[in-house]
Amino acid sequence: MSEPRVTSGAGRALVAVYGLLAVAATARSLVQVLRDLERAPLAYLLSAFAALVYVVATLALARTGPRARRVAWGAVTIEMVGVVVVGALSVLASSLFPEPTVWSTFGAGYGFVPLVLPVLGLLWLRRTSPVAAEPRR
Amino acid sequence: MLTVEGGWRPGRAGRSGSYPRGVWIPLLLLVGLLCLGLAAWAGWRALTDRPVILRQLLTGAVIEAVLVVQVALGLAATAAGDGPADPVTYWGYLVTTLLVLPIAAVWAFTERTRWSSVVLVVASATVAFLQYRLLQVWVGL
Repeated sequence: MSEPRVTSGAGRALVAVYGLLAVAATARSLVQVLRDLERAPLAYLLSAFAALVYVVATLALARTGPRARRVAWGAVTIEMVGVVVVGALSVLASSLFPEPTVWSTFGAGYGFVPLVLPVLGLLWLRRTSPVAAEPRR
Repeated sequence: MLTVEGGWRPGRAGRSGSYPRGVWIPLLLLVGLLCLGLAAWAGWRALTDRPVILRQLLTGAVIEAVLVVQVALGLAATAAGDGPADPVTYWGYLVTTLLVLPIAAVWAFTERTRWSSVVLVVASATVAFLQYRLLQVWVGL
């Protein structure tokens, strides 16, 4: 086996799943915002924001270098907080979100992928961090 | 027909037009079962630390062929004025569905580790899930 690299193997698989969720969330929120925005402005704008974060996370995870890593940490952390906070709000105060978002009920509409993915992302970023692994550069 | 503000149209129950249930539900089930089988096969290879093999990609090609048939039937039904309740979402899903397995196949050629199998599991499960969503969108759920 060759040495593990950030952009190969498990990392690439993670990027693939992130990319898929980014495409799904972006496409869906485009339809929602362009066509049905007045039905549930808060929910649909939140969906659009979540989609944007997934796109940023996908691109940042696919790249190497300290700046991309910082962006990835930020984006994945926002996802983690978002899915927990919005998930809890959608259960406790469901009138806030009359229409489902990516993060509603902890991502149940997407098979809980939005809940699992940031956990995997954070674990992956920690495992591949230059401090823990061999020094690069 | 009921029309709610925002261009939303509720589905038409009991449709039996140019794309009858007798054809499209079996096609959806066929793709769904093939995808779940392929996902299980790839999952087994991922667990046993092996990459995607050509026979799996041929299975994927069979799935793609059935998907192309679905596109043709959907277009024919739309041309006959009997299309999906929510065309934008329906065609968005169907075009995405067509792209997922080819991308996983490209992956399989460049990533000769167990992680290509993981990607194929995700791709097959996605196609199966999108078939389920297509069913919902066509009838307007």
